[in-house]
Amino acid sequence: MDKESPQISSGDVLSTCSAACPVHTDTREYVQRLSRGDYEGALDVLLEVNPFPSVCGRICHHPCESECRRRAIDEAVSLRMLKRFVVENTKEYRIARRKKPADRKAGTVAVIGSGPSGLTAALDLTLRGYRVRVYEKDSKLGGMLAHAIPRYRLPVEALAEDIEDILASGIEVKTNCRVGTDISFDELRSENEAILIAAGLSESHSLSIPGAESNGVFPGITFLWDIANAMPPEMGDRVLVVGGGNVAIDIARAAKRLGPSKVYLACLETREEMPAWKWETEEAEQEGIEVLNSWGPKAILTENNKVSGIDLKRCTSVFDDQHRFNPRYDESVTTRVEVDNVILAVGQKADLEFLTKTSVAIERGRLLCDRASMSTSERGVFACGEVMTGPGSAIQAIATGHEAARVIAHFLETGEKLKLPQRTITTIGELPAATAARAKRVDRVEVSLADPAERIRDFSPIEPGYSEAEALAESRRCLACASGAQLKFPEHCAGCLTCVRVCPFGVAQVRGTAVMPAQQCQTCGLCAAECPAAAIELSRFDTNRMKDTLRDIVKRQGTSRIARPLVVSYCCLNETTSRKFLWEQTDEEIRQSGIVRVMVPCVGRLSALDLITPFELGADKVAVIACAEKDCFYSGSEELLSRRVTRAKKFLDQIGVGQDNVQLFRTDGNAEECWPLIWEELK
Amino acid sequence: MIVADPKPFGQVKGYLENFERILIVGCGACTTVCLAGGEAEVRLLASGMRIAFGRDGQSKTILEDCVQRQCDVEFVLPVLSRVDNEKIDAVVTIACGVGVNFLADRLGKTPVFPGLNTTFYGAGMEPGLWAEMCAGCGECMTALTGGICPVARCSKHLLNGPCGGSEKGKCEVDPANIDCVWQLIYDRLKRLGRLDDLQNIIAPKDWRTAADGGVRRTIREHLYKLR
Repeated sequence: MDKESPQISSGDVLSTCSAACPVHTDTREYVQRLSRGDYEGALDVLLEVNPFPSVCGRICHHPCESECRRRAIDEAVSLRMLKRFVVENTKEYRIARRKKPADRKAGTVAVIGSGPSGLTAALDLTLRGYRVRVYEKDSKLGGMLAHAIPRYRLPVEALAEDIEDILASGIEVKTNCRVGTDISFDELRSENEAILIAAGLSESHSLSIPGAESNGVFPGITFLWDIANAMPPEMGDRVLVVGGGNVAIDIARAAKRLGPSKVYLACLETREEMPAWKWETEEAEQEGIEVLNSWGPKAILTENNKVSGIDLKRCTSVFDDQHRFNPRYDESVTTRVEVDNVILAVGQKADLEFLTKTSVAIERGRLLCDRASMSTSERGVFACGEVMTGPGSAIQAIATGHEAARVIAHFLETGEKLKLPQRTITTIGELPAATAARAKRVDRVEVSLADPAERIRDFSPIEPGYSEAEALAESRRCLACASGAQLKFPEHCAGCLTCVRVCPFGVAQVRGTAVMPAQQCQTCGLCAAECPAAAIELSRFDTNRMKDTLRDIVKRQGTSRIARPLVVSYCCLNETTSRKFLWEQTDEEIRQSGIVRVMVPCVGRLSALDLITPFELGADKVAVIACAEKDCFYSGSEELLSRRVTRAKKFLDQIGVGQDNVQLFRTDGNAEECWPLIWEELK
Repeated sequence: MIVADPKPFGQVKGYLENFERILIVGCGACTTVCLAGGEAEVRLLASGMRIAFGRDGQSKTILEDCVQRQCDVEFVLPVLSRVDNEKIDAVVTIACGVGVNFLADRLGKTPVFPGLNTTFYGAGMEPGLWAEMCAGCGECMTALTGGICPVARCSKHLLNGPCGGSEKGKCEVDPANIDCVWQLIYDRLKRLGRLDDLQNIIAPKDWRTAADGGVRRTIREHLYKLR
């Protein structure tokens, strides 16, 4: 496997969403499959690079969305929610598709830690045929996912789905087995050809300020760990969390759910500088958490050996000129907040005690490792995940897990280190403003979080998933970047300018022959439909394949066995709100109904020939069912389609078929209710 | 560019009633550009023929082809081979009349039928509209008329000013769609500061270059009869 990721090869030009994803999920492909009702196919795409799609569907920080080219038009496609929809609607399929490796290879690997990076590496290596055993000090697998992400964000079941799926590959796991205590590191080394340290950052940093060791001060990770294990600490009525990152937000929101009337979050950063995701800070505030920006902890106050408050000092800057963390304070500006508890979320560190008496090098409390070869100072001992990279996201950890597996497999096969090549990723770039300005704005399908007052009552999930109709609607906002029109037969192109004249986005040009720059093409297909040389095709929608399907359906059935009249119904895929009409039809269904459905992502891309061909193949009538009025994503498409239908009608008259046998309809309301009425009318 | 229009479907179908294996050939040049005879039209016409003959209970074999230009030997050779190899009974071409002739000259016993009516030398005025601009008279006189051709664009081919049917700049033949070319010439020369040119009477045109002496030929000595 020389590919950097199963879904990209070096030299590929990626859409910006895939490029931004640390595992380069083929976002565009899974969203397109979803939009066609192929949820199982979408899951296949997800699982190819990400063994934690259920987790990522809940908590991923979705860099794909941050780079979505649709932002130039309105808002990013809600990719995380689409991912969640896919996994929530393919649970049985996910179990059925599980496979175990066919061949066993010599070589055993011990993985220390069962977080996202460790389990990803373990899965990759197991699927390659190696024997892998995962050592987890806790009773539950998942690392920080299991213990440090509050359940209102990541329900236990979502994590369990991913882990069960991963373990089905045949990974062996040892839970409640702390390396260094229950089994020595040296023992692991003698039993395995390779060791992967994926221990994560499971401990909180403390603060060296007066009172930091007092009763009522909690380390953040321990606090989350205890809550996840149903052992919430005794707390007073007022709590202050120190820190401005995502963990701090999780802690503050988790604390709020334990009942205190007041939860503060104090951080050095200004609002703009806070490392926490903006949306999470906003959600925290909705839940009543008060964010105190630009304050650093000065001293924790105690009364009767119990926390009574905290003194804060004004932070004037967090980073120095070299952008290094180097906070500066104005000691003269202070404030006092009366609280009963202080929770510290000021950074995390690794628990590397199990390495202290080994030859694996540690420097200033950090594991010494080479990022390019994922290796430590010891031959055959590798590292991945946050213990190597420092704090990061789950999907980044997963990416390093894949890399570690590559490196370890190479080591097991050759005995050599593998330096991972520096990746240079080429993307198709931003959507040009001129194109974006001509594209139709379509509102992002948002879900409403539970009411804040409800949310803080317990740890129930706060975000509902998409309904099927919502997911399908949102999936169709995807621009399917760079999968648009291509001049497939340049030798046929006469440079006639038809493509230039019909393109609603001003994208098509003639430079010698037709050019539809992938960076701009919006995949409407009008140029392909109108090209007099039949030289343009769409990579996303192949009209020839569609005709083959049609030919096959009619041929297989034999027209005499089908209910008459036999109607070929081209339907705008974008109007469906369920899979009812997206499932492939059975022969019996076609025979009984006499309706052959051909789902088209915008019927505006049907050529005149597409409207005539069904008659040649034995159909009696053709129905073209377009979207509801003004619903079309592509301006100008409706008029061109209507004129094409008029032309087909005239042609049908000339050839003796009769113009009434092709008809253009509009969807009225939802497809599932409207289309059967249209078919009835035709019959 | 040569502009052409599709013949009525029934007329073309009528040519083919007595043939079984029929090849429809498009042209990738002018008739593709004027949306009458390119690859897409070949497919549409072929499909239409299959449907129409099928409804008549005739199962003919309708084959399709499209060449880059039907007016050059190298491009049509593959078509000639196909006709032989695939035992084609008849060919329909949807090139201009040049293509019809060019194929007919080379197809021995296989009949060739036109699928288009060739209409004029014209230009694309706007999407979906072409207009006549040149008559191929063999002696271009537009230097005298501001670059605007009265031979092609005057309904009466008048060479010395408009007739009485010019009204408000329009030609009486079809005032809604045809400009009076002499109005256009007048306006153009005025813009060029050359209105005085209209004082010169244009002598009767020598039409020998247009029609006299039989079929016109052109020779480029530097390439003609190369060994």
